[in-house]
Amino acid sequence: MEALGDQRSRRQAAGPLAAAEPRAGWLARLEQTAFAPITGTSRWYYLWVAFLLLVIAWGVYAYSHQLRDGLIVTGMRDRISWGLYITTFVFFIGISHAGTLISAILRVSQARWRTPITRMAEFITVVALFSGAIFVIIDLGRPDRVLNIIRYGRWQSPIIWDVLAITTYLTASIAYLFLPMIPDLALFRDRLAGRVAPWRIWLYDLLSVRWRGTGAQWRSMGTAITIAMILIIPIAVSVHTVVSWIFAMTLREPWNSTIFGAFFVAGAIFSGIATLIIVMAILRKVYHLEEYVTEKHFVYLGYMLAAFALIMIYGNVSEYVTTGYKLEEGAEFHFRQLFLEQFAGFYWFYFIGGLVVPGLLMLFPRTRNIWGVVAAALLVDVAMWIERYFIVVTGFRVPLMPYEPSTYAPTWVEFSIVTAGFALFALLITLFVKVFPIIAVWEVAEDQESIEVAPAGRPLAPGATLEPAEGG
Amino acid sequence: MSSKIVVKVILVSIALGAAAFALAVRANASHMEAEITTEGPAALQVRLRSADQGLPIANIAVTLSADESFGGVTGRVELGQTSTDQNGVATVRVHPLSAGDHEVRIEYVAPGETEPEVATAFVTMPGITSQLYSSSAGVQIPGVNVSLLIALVATVWAVLLSVALRVIVIARAGTDAGAPTSQAGATGGR
Repeated sequence: MEALGDQRSRRQAAGPLAAAEPRAGWLARLEQTAFAPITGTSRWYYLWVAFLLLVIAWGVYAYSHQLRDGLIVTGMRDRISWGLYITTFVFFIGISHAGTLISAILRVSQARWRTPITRMAEFITVVALFSGAIFVIIDLGRPDRVLNIIRYGRWQSPIIWDVLAITTYLTASIAYLFLPMIPDLALFRDRLAGRVAPWRIWLYDLLSVRWRGTGAQWRSMGTAITIAMILIIPIAVSVHTVVSWIFAMTLREPWNSTIFGAFFVAGAIFSGIATLIIVMAILRKVYHLEEYVTEKHFVYLGYMLAAFALIMIYGNVSEYVTTGYKLEEGAEFHFRQLFLEQFAGFYWFYFIGGLVVPGLLMLFPRTRNIWGVVAAALLVDVAMWIERYFIVVTGFRVPLMPYEPSTYAPTWVEFSIVTAGFALFALLITLFVKVFPIIAVWEVAEDQESIEVAPAGRPLAPGATLEPAEGG
Repeated sequence: MSSKIVVKVILVSIALGAAAFALAVRANASHMEAEITTEGPAALQVRLRSADQGLPIANIAVTLSADESFGGVTGRVELGQTSTDQNGVATVRVHPLSAGDHEVRIEYVAPGETEPEVATAFVTMPGITSQLYSSSAGVQIPGVNVSLLIALVATVWAVLLSVALRVIVIARAGTDAGAPTSQAGATGGR
């Protein structure tokens, strides 16, 4: 592994490019592609934003009911006291791992094909963390009591660990999103002056922290990115491990598991990859990124999806065979509700539709394409949300005392707020794309340059293709 | 005649009133007298004496229970069990009860008897403002404690701070380099 500053210094020493003219045209096209979302806005964009704002407004209206009347307006009661809110919280924290995996892990392993999609992945992380954290406050019922976590929190509590892990991860993710964006923000500052509103130029100037592209700045940025990318991987793993511990450290039969941490982390990366694929497909189509986000990116991510599907299947088998073989009283109740009775439909959709089918879609060459990968990703995301739902609800449903098992039926308030949460997630991505560089321009350019120049500084042979390198 | 009836009614009333008062703090069984007091919010003290001479009864197993509601279920909950000491006193640490009055059932087998005797008494549990229950660590591993967690979190945030300082270094380097040029961006200046 090498620091980015070193890469830059080596690249500067490689000498002038042989094919300067084609490269200039390619760079101009890359810049125009990056500028396009900012400089042009279609009518569909406003309609889409208006639609999302309407959904969010409806969610705010539903939340006002909850604030006024309390959590009684939800389906949650004393025996099943977590429902859609905590399900969605865990889901969002899970998909926040998209940025970590794609950007940090692939950057550490120097997988060059990652460059066009890192920015999207990093932003999904920040937006998902923000959206997920909101649901914890919504679930509290009394948002003013959120400060009680600080006032009365105990270091021994997984809730405190969770707050610490998520705030640290959010901070690190913002830093990790921001650092590689500095040269691109400077590019926008310099090239878009006079073409966009003055507030945008002011914002780019502020956030580009006086970037001039000097060697000292490249070195400092390279060091900072190197530190951040190494740091963020264990932080991300700790986040979903701690989220799982909120369940696993509670005395509930279905949550008595030693592999919950690893299982949750694998599930988080699994759903994170799926979300990245979906966001990639939408942005590629809307902003015409076909030249940079190619079928290869989808297929590579599809391979990762298939690999994590296998890990998830293994986790399910390992977990349920060991507990099922002993089959204590509570486990028997749980197995019946999960595999045969109330939650059987959810579980088998998750297992077959969310784990087996996506793997098969990647197995067959006919479906190993953009459409196949996107279909697999959609299945995975739906299935993983359902998985979090039945983990949360079935855990509470197993009786701790000899009383009849309770039931949980979400109300319109919960459905409305959860829908608004997803709309907020989509809105934040939409707005980000309209303000910030959608693709990491300098990284894509640097990647392309490293392909055009042979390792010893020799130009490529005439007629050589400019396909992105196979990294990782 | 009527005055005698009035006197009898008054005497009976006084007797019933006295009995009710006695039940509030003291319960009498056939052979023994049981007295119960609160020892803080999580302990009850039972004192057993012989009914005739008032001597302490030692080494008697005492079981305390009460009718309580939890999670929508109401039933008799055993509060605790212990034996009386030489002074006839048994202190039972109970799971905390809600503040207010509770009817506590005291069950014991008197010396020479085979059937348990049961007495009831009312106790008033005080309200509390402090944490009653804190778990004790089962296994103390040296070095593995809250301090380690704090040190870990502090280290991570220190590294994050060093990243923030790098941003300041970038800004200063830009100031030293002078005014921006149109070639300073991502793909420019190469």
